[in-house]
Amino acid sequence: MKYPLNVRVNGVETSVDVEPHRSLLNVLREDIGLTGPKEGCDDSECGACMVLVDGRPVNSCSYLALQTDGREITTIEGVSEPSCPHSIQQALLEEGGVQCGFCTPGIVMSAKALLDANPSCDEDEVRLALGGNLCRCTGYQKIVRAVLRAAEQLQDRAGTTG
Amino acid sequence: MSETLDLREQAIRKWGSDNRAIRKGKWIGKPARRLEDPRYLTGAARYVADLELPRMLHAVYVRSPHPHARIVSIDKSVLPGLGKTVFAFTGEDLRDVPPLIDHVALDNLLRTPQPVIAIGKVRFVGDAVAIVLAADRYAAEDAAELLSSVVEYEELPPVPNVAASGASDAALLFEELGTNEIYREAITHGEVDEAFAKADRVFSTPFEHNRYMAAPMETRGVLADYDRADQQLTVWSSTQMPHFLRSVIAGQLGLPENKVRVIAPEVGGGFGMKMCTVPEEIAIPFIATQLGRPVKWIEDRHEHLIAATHSKQQSINLEVAVTNDGKILGVRGEFVGDGGGYSFNTESALIEPALAAKALPGPYRIENYREEVGAFLTNKSPVAAYRGVGWTAANTARELLFDEAARGLGIDPAEFRRRNMLRSDELPYLSCTGQVYDSGSYLESLDKALEAVDYQAFRQRQEELRQQGRYIGLGISSYVEQTAWGSESSAQAGTPLPSHDNATVTVDPSGKVTVAVSVSSHGQGHETSLAQIAADGLGVDIKDVVLLHGDTSNTPYGLGTYASRSAVIGGATVARAAADVREQILQVAGKMLEASPEDLVIEDGKVSVAGTPSRFKTLADVAYAAHWDSEVRNSEPLLSATRFYDPPANYANGCVVALCEVDADTGVVTLDRIVAVEDCGMVINPMIVEAQVHGAIVQGLGGAMLEHLIYSDEGQPLTTTYMDYLVPTFSDVPPIEVISIETPSPFTVGGIKGMGEGGQIAAPAALANAVADALAPFGARIEKLPITPDYVLRLMGKIG
Repeated sequence: MKYPLNVRVNGVETSVDVEPHRSLLNVLREDIGLTGPKEGCDDSECGACMVLVDGRPVNSCSYLALQTDGREITTIEGVSEPSCPHSIQQALLEEGGVQCGFCTPGIVMSAKALLDANPSCDEDEVRLALGGNLCRCTGYQKIVRAVLRAAEQLQDRAGTTG
Repeated sequence: MSETLDLREQAIRKWGSDNRAIRKGKWIGKPARRLEDPRYLTGAARYVADLELPRMLHAVYVRSPHPHARIVSIDKSVLPGLGKTVFAFTGEDLRDVPPLIDHVALDNLLRTPQPVIAIGKVRFVGDAVAIVLAADRYAAEDAAELLSSVVEYEELPPVPNVAASGASDAALLFEELGTNEIYREAITHGEVDEAFAKADRVFSTPFEHNRYMAAPMETRGVLADYDRADQQLTVWSSTQMPHFLRSVIAGQLGLPENKVRVIAPEVGGGFGMKMCTVPEEIAIPFIATQLGRPVKWIEDRHEHLIAATHSKQQSINLEVAVTNDGKILGVRGEFVGDGGGYSFNTESALIEPALAAKALPGPYRIENYREEVGAFLTNKSPVAAYRGVGWTAANTARELLFDEAARGLGIDPAEFRRRNMLRSDELPYLSCTGQVYDSGSYLESLDKALEAVDYQAFRQRQEELRQQGRYIGLGISSYVEQTAWGSESSAQAGTPLPSHDNATVTVDPSGKVTVAVSVSSHGQGHETSLAQIAADGLGVDIKDVVLLHGDTSNTPYGLGTYASRSAVIGGATVARAAADVREQILQVAGKMLEASPEDLVIEDGKVSVAGTPSRFKTLADVAYAAHWDSEVRNSEPLLSATRFYDPPANYANGCVVALCEVDADTGVVTLDRIVAVEDCGMVINPMIVEAQVHGAIVQGLGGAMLEHLIYSDEGQPLTTTYMDYLVPTFSDVPPIEVISIETPSPFTVGGIKGMGEGGQIAAPAALANAVADALAPFGARIEKLPITPDYVLRLMGKIG
């Protein structure tokens, strides 16, 4: 038995019929065609599937799709336009915080959630906020640097405009 | 000295006179941002799991819940819709597919053929019993669960570890072999007995190296599609070796190799695990040929932790004979591998113990050495490659023992190392195990690392804090890293595997550059580093270079990416091919500019007469003319060349120093700082090198402090999720500083050495020595990893 799911995904009103047992990750990837969020563990332990639901980071592998009815979902595909990367994406590029890329979408989403909520975060706060995102390639050093750099840039920008 | 000079000359003669031919311009040595990153950062990168084909079936494995059992029956008829909506294959259905066998060329190594789905018996929890397929993964999972519930087994006594495996009444994993011990060999180098007889002191340590695994963020996965009309098989696999996999698939399935195409799309980390051909990479394509429908298998994390290959586990007994003033006279070592249920292809169960034995001498002058290597089968997931194969264990055991010896002799551990370490002017050096260290900075690396942490000040502070009941420690780990696995490196490692790789560089009619390589990136940034080499070779911007890799249909044959080989081999093949294409361009441009090709330079995409920059043609103009202007084109008009490289062995080196504090009440170790000195010869992209060092060190940190694949005495895996198997997180990692020394290899093109593994080779010993140093007042000796809080409390005598 399928039920209607109406969500706003990356700013686009989207309607799909889904079975109640299906995860948000599965529906995003298979029904909506957004393969940026990844399945790394299917158990809420690695963060590769991180997306934002109403701005809050969730492991979409362990979130039922129907729970998001009427809500706003942001995936890695909705963070920026290719011609105008988000500060976090730009900072990861400049600091060299990407290797195999599999964890990267989840890292970007967790970092975005952190910076949206706390743009003046320090290193400890970055490490804590990203504690649910595993990366096997980078040893985390350059990612931490990148998120702090993005925070600085966002603050500078806020300072200029505000 | 004359002998070492001979070595150098022999190597250079053997490998050709253009070994140093690499053109350095604006790009090599620059921390260029990675060209591949935008697609990773935006979610556009496509891994195997992201691929869909029409009529695709999802495959789910039924895996053994028993460590050791006979398969009595599998009743597929319980599956509703069998043959219509649900399909199932057992080992019997794949009986015609030959088993996988290792390729190691050693006569006295017993072989353990592994059917791609188990036939008759299972040998570890997770061994493949059947594959169930349906159009939807949920449906396939449900059907697999149903089938799993009706498989009948006759349980056999489990063999959970080496001690049980070697027992006289042990159950045999392969009855036909008559033993579980598949290899035993001892080799003596020099005069070992005399060395031990002369020694003032002998120090020894038993060391149990833990079983841990690569666990890349992307699990394994295969998608296979067979076109019955063209009899063409296409396989997308998360592999490090697409060409080699194509050869194996063609052989196993009896297909012409030119009818098999293997694509490694984006690969989410490999670290050696995705080198070997895994049974799934044969079974899934076979089923696709049988059903005539695309078949996709994506491993889940639970399955990965029990059924993907494990690594590193071995027992090492080391003894070192020394004089009172700290000179090493000789070493004896026994290395026994716990190989798991099958001695795995490609490198067999020897991949850990034999490589450890050969690499044991490291950066030290050890002339008398007896190595004994054994390997046993046990009912656990097979052991195969993971970053730092064998070398991690050897380095950890050796560096721990040397600290032990230094403490016993009352010599500072850094000083003990200095007294025995090879000086730069002793290189090239032929180690007693036959490894030719080409060049390096062993002492300089040690000194630089100690200087960075202000070693003397640390010792003073350590003493002060001890008075206050606080325990800080510093651990040193020096290493050499064998790199650039071609024919010679693999032979020097002890497991010969003839190999070479190739690159094709092409300039198209618009003047843009396409580079196709047989090495295959899975996170290393080849699209940038190899583009840097091509860009300098041809005098263009890296943005004008497109790098193709990972697809056997558009890249030349070669082995792929493993064993820190791609910078050296991939780099050289690209440099050589680019040099040839440069000559072709200059021939055409010479005619266009009415100048001798020797008088021309290419810079910033323009070909000009040296010293007269106003006389130029753009590369686009020259490339266009080369293709379309019959007046100036070459006799072979294409601007393209394919070149190969099979490098001489070469060895990177470095030193990792770790600082920690141990909480004497809880046993918790806080890592304060890690400093790594890395010497990998000529650096192509320092940002990428630094990133590789960070990643390798943190994997080593995981193995030393957290990661442990635990089996119960009954052979059941107990670490089957990331809640039990702890890989390092953002919170577990201290600041890591990387210091670079560049000692170019005299043997390789451009002086490049590999460097992917040093961090994982060296970090565990640095961390373990730091903890042992902190706990020196307790007389602590670290004899196993990982160093968990309860083990620390045991070392301190606080718990039994």
